[in-house]
Amino acid sequence: MDGGGAMLDEVDVRHRLGLDPGTPPLVALRGVGKVFPGVIANADVHLEVFPGEIHALLGENGAGKSTLMNVLTGIYQPDSGEIVVAGYPRTFSSPQDAIRAGIGMVHQHFKLVQAFTVAENVHLGWDRTPARVGAAMLEARTAELAARLNLAVRPEATVADLSTGEQQRVEILRVLSRDAKVLILDEPTAVLTPGEAQDLFAALRAFVAQGNAVIFISHKLDEVLEIAHRVTVLRAGRNVATRWASDCTERSLAQMMVGREIVLTDMRTRAPGIAGPGAPVLRLEAVALKGVLQDISLEVRAGEVLGVAGVAGNGQRELCQIMTGLAAPTSGRVLLDGADISRAGPGAVATMGVGHIPEDRLASGVAAGLSITENAVLREYRDRPVSRGPWYSPRAALDLARRIAGAAEVVVPDFAMPVRNLSGGNQQRLVARREMRIARRAIVAAYPSRGLDVGAINMMMRYLTELRDQGVAVVLVSEELEELLNLSDRIAVMFHGRIMGIVPAAAADLDDIGLMMGGQRRDRAA
Amino acid sequence: MMGWRLQRLPSAKPRLAFLARAVSVILALLVAGLVTAAAGFHPFDLGAEVVSSSFGSRFGIEDLGLLLTPLIYTGLAVAVGLRIGAWNIGAEGQFNIGAFCAAGVALFVPGPVWMVLPLMVFGGALGGAAWILVPTLARAYADVSELITTLLLNFVALLLVYYVATGPWLDPSGHALATTARLPVAIPEFWGIVHWGFPVAVAMAMALAILFALTRWGYEIRISGSNPGAARYAGIPVRRHLITVMLMSGAIAGLGGVMEVAGTVGRLQGGISNNYGYLGIMVAVLARAAPLGVLASALLMAVILNGGIILQTQGLTTNTVLAVTGLILLFSAIGDELAHYRVIRTTAQRA
Repeated sequence: MDGGGAMLDEVDVRHRLGLDPGTPPLVALRGVGKVFPGVIANADVHLEVFPGEIHALLGENGAGKSTLMNVLTGIYQPDSGEIVVAGYPRTFSSPQDAIRAGIGMVHQHFKLVQAFTVAENVHLGWDRTPARVGAAMLEARTAELAARLNLAVRPEATVADLSTGEQQRVEILRVLSRDAKVLILDEPTAVLTPGEAQDLFAALRAFVAQGNAVIFISHKLDEVLEIAHRVTVLRAGRNVATRWASDCTERSLAQMMVGREIVLTDMRTRAPGIAGPGAPVLRLEAVALKGVLQDISLEVRAGEVLGVAGVAGNGQRELCQIMTGLAAPTSGRVLLDGADISRAGPGAVATMGVGHIPEDRLASGVAAGLSITENAVLREYRDRPVSRGPWYSPRAALDLARRIAGAAEVVVPDFAMPVRNLSGGNQQRLVARREMRIARRAIVAAYPSRGLDVGAINMMMRYLTELRDQGVAVVLVSEELEELLNLSDRIAVMFHGRIMGIVPAAAADLDDIGLMMGGQRRDRAA
Repeated sequence: MMGWRLQRLPSAKPRLAFLARAVSVILALLVAGLVTAAAGFHPFDLGAEVVSSSFGSRFGIEDLGLLLTPLIYTGLAVAVGLRIGAWNIGAEGQFNIGAFCAAGVALFVPGPVWMVLPLMVFGGALGGAAWILVPTLARAYADVSELITTLLLNFVALLLVYYVATGPWLDPSGHALATTARLPVAIPEFWGIVHWGFPVAVAMAMALAILFALTRWGYEIRISGSNPGAARYAGIPVRRHLITVMLMSGAIAGLGGVMEVAGTVGRLQGGISNNYGYLGIMVAVLARAAPLGVLASALLMAVILNGGIILQTQGLTTNTVLAVTGLILLFSAIGDELAHYRVIRTTAQRA
């Protein structure tokens, strides 16, 4: 790590921000660490935000941005390090503590009461709200606040009737009315139209011009460069660098975000005698799902691994649902071996030979309270020998469960025990093996290694190459670029429900993928 | 090195859970015994009296059989719903409606017994199913909690029966104040005063046990009840199953009402359900929703109810019975939680 270069010379920072040499940062995090069971969310993080500054916080999903901001706003207590506000160390035991110290946050998902008016929301849970209130008085107070803080809101309007941009202004007004000096915004433009985003930027510039500061969390690199003075990049819970935005380019930021030492173990190369990608198996033609997916066209060929990259929540879940029959597209077609399966339903799609390792195992992959046997036969209970006509044979089911557990190399002491008693890794191996048995044509694996240890991850990757070598079309959805680069033949990058581009993994450029993950089209990035 | 500690498992082993149930019943009886002893009674004498009155004579056993029968029906009704994760609190109402429909058929449809009797049975089951239809559809299509909707319909059913029994269907002979005339058609007797409703209930429990454990449909119901998300993922029609199972639940409770009105009581009268619907909830919970377990827990409940009647003759109030049932539920809840724990040797842990 370039520790020395990462921490900019403080004198220089104050000078460039036009501050007096002795000005303390409005808020500083010094060596903050936060550990969750089994996960280091933050380690030794430093961050200084000066008056008049818009400071962007950048990082991949899971890089520790949210945890850091939750520490700063009193939702979490840091395990190590300290929070310094205007020169004094502070501890916040709640967000109320933090807002009293002048630090407020607008979350990505607004925390407004939909049925209340703007004025009521602004005054909710505020110690300066008068004891006796009336609608007219609250509205007058809100109008006065809005005028003073230069945020256009309609105090009498019900929040549910407002556009997202307006709701965001109410959230900001709520925070600023409590005399916040530091405003934290979590992906504020994700929900805004470009015009609304420009209005927001103008308001933010006016806010910091009065000696306040903004911490701006975003994935959109162009925005960060446009609005921020300085940028701090986090990766795997640690500082990577803090830079002046004017010294950065989108390319250099993307590189800092995703450019860790990627261990490339080439699993793309086939063993001798194994054929490469063959005929198309799964085809999506201009698929759209109302409000989530738009214009998705791709094809996966027999014996090919198609990686799907992207920050989680950009439509991957819905894409998997469409490909496995769990959701029907609002327009476009899904074809399996040329047959339209858009509306076939999950049972039929599975019967046609498409396996699915679902994203959220406990929500849909297993019935956690039922036995290992009952879960193991979930895909084949309709067939002989588990079922004969209307009859279900517990003995045949147990046989099948034993075979699946054997193939998964999971030691099961008691097949009648609920599947939730198994570790997450073992559950995942059983689910993977169960799906492999039915995946004659294709398999959709969503985050198959999420939450697993290294051994289990390797096992999972081996399963997928095994299927690929048998000529199965494999779709691998992952946040781990490393995993995708190791395994995929081609990588499709998703952003906001669209495919930003599909690149061959062998020639993939990390910067390029990073830029597409941040919302740039391939043609612009290249 | 050798140490012991408690470990909480996310789910209880069935055998341990069953043991906890048995212990909780014994503890509840023990507490009840201590309290009655403190109040100056002789709990062992009372216990002996209950046992000998219930089981010591053929009449006692026949009485017990009559109490047991409706409890099996309502217990099965609630247990069936629980299999797919639906709480049918409305067995009480469906029981009333079942009795109402059967009485209506018996009183107003002329014909030979071989025709009227099946019609009564069918009508009562259909009535029970119809009574849960709206809560079922509301749950299946609008995700409205069936807890409230089924419960509220109980009062409607109860008042409907009161109304017809004291008004339009009142015994025209003038001998009775609040019941209909004696039904011209009855469920035939099976053993003493115990009618065929009892063996039918037992057979139904066995059939349901087989249906849930040994059929493909039963497997789908288990998956749907345990995790609807996983069921949808496997292509199981969760909503259709939910509707079928809930209607089945209502039909079974309705059937219980048929047997009660045409087998045990012989007339439709207000309050014919005698809280069997609510007691059925307890029967099902004690049985952990297993159909065969319902037979055992219904028997236990019948003994307790019968005991209450006997205790009354010994100077105790019927509230004693309520207290005992309450204690059983309390101890079962504690036992359920404790069954999640197991003692492990710390050195015997596997990686």
